[in-house]
Amino acid sequence: MKLTINNRPFETDAPPDTPLLWLLRDELGLIGTRFGCGVGLCGACTVHLDGVAARSCITPLSTVEGKAVTTIEGLAEGYEGLHPVQQAFIDQQVPQCGYCMSGQIMAIAGLLAEEGAVDEATLAEKVTNLCRCGAYVRIRRAALQAAAEVNS
Amino acid sequence: MSEKKRRWTITRRGFLIGAGSGAGLLALGVGLGLPRARLSIADRLDGATAPGGLEATPDLWFELGETGKLRLYLPKVEMGQGIHTALAQIAAAELGVTLDDLEILQATSRVGPQDSSGTQGSASVITSYEPIRQAAAALRETLRSAASEQWGQPLDQIVQEGASFFAKGDTATRLSFGELAAGQREWTVPDEVTLRPTAELTLIGQSVPRIDIPSKVNGAAVYGYDARMDGMRYGASAHKPSFEAEFVRLRNESAVAAMAGVEAVVVEGEAGFVGVVATTRRAAWQARDALDIEWREGKRWSQREIEELVTVGGRGGVAIQREGHAEAMFGQGTISAEYRTPLAAHMPMEPQAALADATGDGVRVWVSTQMQARTADAVASALGREVGEIEIIPTYLGGGFGRKGISEVAIEAARLSEAVGVPVHVGWTREEETQNGYFRPPTHHQFRAVLEKGRVTAIEHQQASGDVLFAYFPAPLRFLFGVDFGAWRGGRIAYEVANRHVVAWRRKLPVPTGPWRGLGLLANTFALESFFDELAYVAGTDPLSFRLAHLNSDAAHVVRLRAALDAVRALSSWDAPPAAGRARGVACSFDAGTAVALVVEASLDGETPIVHHVWAVMDCGQLINPDTATAQVEGNVIWGLSSALLEQATLAEGRITNANFADYPILPPARAPEITVQLINPTDAPPGGVGEPAIGPVPAALANALFRLDGKRRRDLPLV
Repeated sequence: MKLTINNRPFETDAPPDTPLLWLLRDELGLIGTRFGCGVGLCGACTVHLDGVAARSCITPLSTVEGKAVTTIEGLAEGYEGLHPVQQAFIDQQVPQCGYCMSGQIMAIAGLLAEEGAVDEATLAEKVTNLCRCGAYVRIRRAALQAAAEVNS
Repeated sequence: MSEKKRRWTITRRGFLIGAGSGAGLLALGVGLGLPRARLSIADRLDGATAPGGLEATPDLWFELGETGKLRLYLPKVEMGQGIHTALAQIAAAELGVTLDDLEILQATSRVGPQDSSGTQGSASVITSYEPIRQAAAALRETLRSAASEQWGQPLDQIVQEGASFFAKGDTATRLSFGELAAGQREWTVPDEVTLRPTAELTLIGQSVPRIDIPSKVNGAAVYGYDARMDGMRYGASAHKPSFEAEFVRLRNESAVAAMAGVEAVVVEGEAGFVGVVATTRRAAWQARDALDIEWREGKRWSQREIEELVTVGGRGGVAIQREGHAEAMFGQGTISAEYRTPLAAHMPMEPQAALADATGDGVRVWVSTQMQARTADAVASALGREVGEIEIIPTYLGGGFGRKGISEVAIEAARLSEAVGVPVHVGWTREEETQNGYFRPPTHHQFRAVLEKGRVTAIEHQQASGDVLFAYFPAPLRFLFGVDFGAWRGGRIAYEVANRHVVAWRRKLPVPTGPWRGLGLLANTFALESFFDELAYVAGTDPLSFRLAHLNSDAAHVVRLRAALDAVRALSSWDAPPAAGRARGVACSFDAGTAVALVVEASLDGETPIVHHVWAVMDCGQLINPDTATAQVEGNVIWGLSSALLEQATLAEGRITNANFADYPILPPARAPEITVQLINPTDAPPGGVGEPAIGPVPAALANALFRLDGKRRRDLPLV
């Protein structure tokens, strides 16, 4: 199967029902996409498929063929330095343990790419990624900062 | 430093901090007699944490190369609490260098300062503050003497500027720390060092950005789940179907061994261990799921049976606070109430994970653990090796919260690696994480009090809990004390009531219970602060003023708690009415040297509580990094709300039945309120705990707000 991951072609003979998460982590060494629940509930494994946020632990490889996969490691490509959402997460000192943060950042970056302007209500509705450290207040703050920058 | 001629001749006087508490406590017990000794121990432990015992020997903490970059090995693990940054700030401040002069490295169970207590109990800064400063000062003065020798100038003529020295009057000639380290000499560490005056420690108290954050926004941070080695395989192992089940035999070893991708099936019958090794994680999990094991089932406990076990009364209650004669005062007019909290899981975002590489020379294990020393012991014992052969290398932790104190997964990975002779990574599924862990124990609380003219004149708290830390107590202390201070953390009463009585019951449960963020703090504070609110209501007094009225003395912690309550009163505009349909509740606690007062504003949407705003004031003594402390308060507020609103581990047939986020929900982002945090920073209090104390008052403050909305007292967690 031929895949495009972070703008680079990749070929694999993994079974087509393999979740994308395990290919990314264990074949490509892209460890920034994390395993949290395995059933698409926590969002720690969020990546982009053609720019749209998706939970890679429940995304079989067969559905990814022909799509552009972007992981946290490739998010900043085309930007000077970091992606605005990553920069906002540093500015607001968001991560605590950090384990959910790749997913949080990918979810918010995907939402901003899709919708442009977002407000608190949209964020609350669309970004459902869990954070056990409870960094939600800062995640919200950083998302709004990034949204303001993306639109300016 | 020079390996050859190094001579670290430290006298231990002045360098050993806080060690040997067990022996000290025991000696105390003999002299006082058992009941008084228990109370005395309770006095000492109240709001305190286990002593650290970290050595201040500088060559354990520091390594200085010719580049001048000073390596600092930190025994505490980074799990989001910002401890690496905070400890680096303390070291850099005492050394008189910038954070950029330091390279921060995680100590292992073999390299760097050895830490028997692990990273827990909000105790890292409390127990490391002095040893780090001692070690840093010793290193600084050692280097100063080297400069003094090199230039033939007396010590008091050697001036430090950042990571270099010059001789007074000759600013052009300088020797950097690195250049001094490169010289071959005998190093003499001074017997006693003078710490810098507080005014010079300008890095302490600064909100410097956390050093671990950049790697946490670009995916580069390595957690236990991410540890990798060339040639590594994936392992998985079978776990008991119920808490009391025992392994009998594996029925289908050869069938599983023949599965695609499976390289080995490892059976260690005596240890009750069956595991598999495969080429991919998926193949390992599939093979593990295919294992057909005969188990000898024990009793399959139900939820109700466990809860009934945790009930106050009968024999074995231990007084942990007793002043006056509360019992004698109860009678007609006594106010009473009962509270319960349920079994709860930790649900760290990262399930247990470890990579082990067992060879003839030794075993290295990379693991998300809060307890590298204890994990080294456990791996050594499981493998029948000397502990000196084991090196536990903590990675970043994807959440700890007490769950990563006992790292079973390290043992599993080590067994499998030893069996197959290649490195093996074991990562648990979410369900394995939840069902094979240990839990916050259920608790039961009975209160009685007497009110006279608006004042509480007698109060009694009887508390029963499953074990929290008891398994780790040394045997004599366990015998002496009879009850688990982890379980009653937060259960003693700070309010000034002439007749106070607190009794704790240890309830041994067939469900594994253990440390969970704050230990007993959340349950006990929920019960105590809910009950005190009930008393305020009966007295007809504003609940915040009622609390203040019972905090009159000039005892240091009382003064600080009072100040925190005063501050949260102003911060939350407590005296102005909330918006229509909303109500506010207050609660406070003093724990781990830290005072917290907290106000929650909530409304009810039908039966569902909506939390709008939380105002929190924390006085954690000397602040190291205010922004990190603020983040910890925010996190504790979310954690406390999650526990108050949603969390309960359910049990049937002797196992946990809600094992993933679908049926063990944690607070989602949409339910996160606005949070306003204010820190009080007195200059005279030593550093207190930060990682847990703010958790205590959250559920009670919410319950107290809800009572004001609908007149219903919610005395069980979760509140709905």
